Amino acid sequence: MGRLRNLEPMQILGLLGALFFLTAPYALPLVVPGFWVNITAEIMIWALFAASVNLLFGYTGLLSFGQALYFGMGAYGVALSIEFFHFSFWPAALTGIAVATLSAFVTGIFAARLTWHYFAIITVVFSLIFFFFAVGWKDVTGGDDGMPFTMPPVLKVGGLELSLLDLTFQYYFILAVVGACFGMMHLLLKSPLGYAFIAVRENTARAGLVGYNAYMVRLLSFVFSGFFAGVSGVLFALFSRYASAHFLFWTVSGEGVVWAVVGGAGTLFGPVLGTAFLIVIREELSAYWEHYLLVVGVIVILFVTYAPQGIMGLLRKAIARYARPAAGDGRGARP
Amino acid sequence: MKKTSRRSFMKMVLAGGVLGQGLNLTLARDLFAKPTGAPIVIGHQCDLTGGISSWGYWLDKAAKAACDHLNANNGIAGRPVEYVVEDTETNPPTGARKFRSLVQRSKADFVIGSVHSGVNLATVPIAKELKTIYIPQGMANEMTGAKGNRYTFRVGSDTYSQAAAGAAWALKNLGKKWSFIFADYGWGWSHFKEHEAVLKGLGGAKINAPIAVPLDAKDLLPYLAKVEKDTEQLYSIFFGSQSVAYYTQSKSLGMDKRMNRYSVLCTHESISPKEMAGASEGIFLLEYHPRMLKYKDTPHNKKVRELMKVDPVDGREDGSNRILASSHYWATWESVFFIQKAIEKSGWKAKKDTPEFIKALEGMQVKESFEHPQGNKVMRAKDHKAVIDFYMSRIENGEIHVKHNIPAADVESRFPPQFDFTKESF
Repeated sequence: MGRLRNLEPMQILGLLGALFFLTAPYALPLVVPGFWVNITAEIMIWALFAASVNLLFGYTGLLSFGQALYFGMGAYGVALSIEFFHFSFWPAALTGIAVATLSAFVTGIFAARLTWHYFAIITVVFSLIFFFFAVGWKDVTGGDDGMPFTMPPVLKVGGLELSLLDLTFQYYFILAVVGACFGMMHLLLKSPLGYAFIAVRENTARAGLVGYNAYMVRLLSFVFSGFFAGVSGVLFALFSRYASAHFLFWTVSGEGVVWAVVGGAGTLFGPVLGTAFLIVIREELSAYWEHYLLVVGVIVILFVTYAPQGIMGLLRKAIARYARPAAGDGRGARP
Repeated sequence: MKKTSRRSFMKMVLAGGVLGQGLNLTLARDLFAKPTGAPIVIGHQCDLTGGISSWGYWLDKAAKAACDHLNANNGIAGRPVEYVVEDTETNPPTGARKFRSLVQRSKADFVIGSVHSGVNLATVPIAKELKTIYIPQGMANEMTGAKGNRYTFRVGSDTYSQAAAGAAWALKNLGKKWSFIFADYGWGWSHFKEHEAVLKGLGGAKINAPIAVPLDAKDLLPYLAKVEKDTEQLYSIFFGSQSVAYYTQSKSLGMDKRMNRYSVLCTHESISPKEMAGASEGIFLLEYHPRMLKYKDTPHNKKVRELMKVDPVDGREDGSNRILASSHYWATWESVFFIQKAIEKSGWKAKKDTPEFIKALEGMQVKESFEHPQGNKVMRAKDHKAVIDFYMSRIENGEIHVKHNIPAADVESRFPPQFDFTKESF
């Protein structure tokens, strides 16, 4: 209890968030339809995707509108491995991640040379090239109709079979993978490489003067970002039992940017908040009004104009305002 | 024998009158009984916004009208029908999510699907997982073919049946030398491949290399220039602005004079030929239900069109500029009544009875009626596809005139089942 009392307000919020995600399959159906457990799983996947955008934009200062390419590569990597090559679960999932990461490396060689609007343009162009390629190559990709596939079991030992068809297992599988990815991202950002990302974002010339190769730093950020986008694509294909050329379209990248910005770019968990907030709004409004995107658009404009630090920034401000008078009451004061 | 007195006669008349009135009231009560009990929820995963929303409007209107009709007539098996619609945004991931929402949040017992094949294919595996009947309206053969399952049924047509219906007549009447030009995506390639297979089976056709046009192409002239000079009929598949560009540019090149232009009505759905400034004049279109009432002027069809509030020639809605999605709207209307019939035949009470429902729907035959205005049809047990009538039509003077009826029996001879879902377990 003593430890809990010493926690910072943001840490308490983080614990509450973790508690929510850990208990959602059992706690949520007590208050809302079970459908929301699936939506929570989807939020985790898209939050990882938004975090991949955030790694580039929030930490390295590169605004990409082409993250959908690596998301789609991950999705197709797993779908084609299962459907055409009859891979089992793990080889298929690893193939999806490998394909996404490799394509991020190849495209990154060219994209990482550029910054600002040139970088944004080249990432969109790469994404569109592969989108049209996927749409046209119907025999392999299913084109815009997409490609459903039969889900192989995650684990089969004797009579024991674990499959994502079991929705509770699926939820915890997604939670474990997304949690591991956020853990990796945290370690990455706290490593010298993570500080190099920030250095390049803040001032490329100075970063160069202290010995960083800005191009290599941007390329590494791009590849890591593609890796995380690829993992989210693999998860989404497994969750949907389907891959489609639509996954590669630039609007998917745009959503990732919006979620990251609304949540708070440059913060680890900001994209989770932004994704959760906008997906919950989408789910509630779209059931009643098909033009709900107008509301989403207004929310984004308001955030960009009045709260550019996103939800995370608003939370920090609110906590600072609340914590200041609390600090003055003498409790916790140190000599 | 006891003689009937005037008094006893009056008593009998009075008693008979009271009894008759009572019976009359009882019958009337049954006739107009309000459905009671837990509602049967029919969900509709509908494309209300996005690329196919001009069709989605009609598919929603027809399904809703069918549910309203049922509720005004004792519901289904005495239970009320609740109709719930959710918008797919004409987008596969959104459509799949909306299917889950309909089933898990709105507790839909049955779901009528989108008209977008991508949405359908994203949904088909989930339908099986959630053990929910799914009736997609899209045209891809796969969802009641290679990617189908026992929970998926098709009331309308698909690229396979369309090729089987139209190719034989077109080969005989429009020419033996075929060229195909289409948008470079799933729908276009499906039409090419299905026609290629049917034409090879029929024999006698020369098929030129297909011309696939990139989706973002605005100017079709470079692609139209690739059409072989010996072409006798040019089969096209485009959607939206590309469809308009194709009609306009092929006409301006004089291709309509040199060859027959042929397509399916989908490329002209919810569009009046009068609004095309003559660009689509003379084109042959395979219809799945005539746009003009006079070609299917049955009391049933007339009554359903009255519910849609459209004129008999162009299918234009009263008080708006919307044109009836004539080849598609009927399928959602009929889907509701297929659901009703299968519920009543199987004795379905709740989701656990769905296997019995499936068995009842497999092989179900329906007669042309108010519930099934498109015509007699059978829901084939093996591949879950309804075998329907088609119409070969031509645009003349800004109207779509039927030139030849293609009855279901004729179609079926070139449209054998390719899969047998009856062997699949529940």
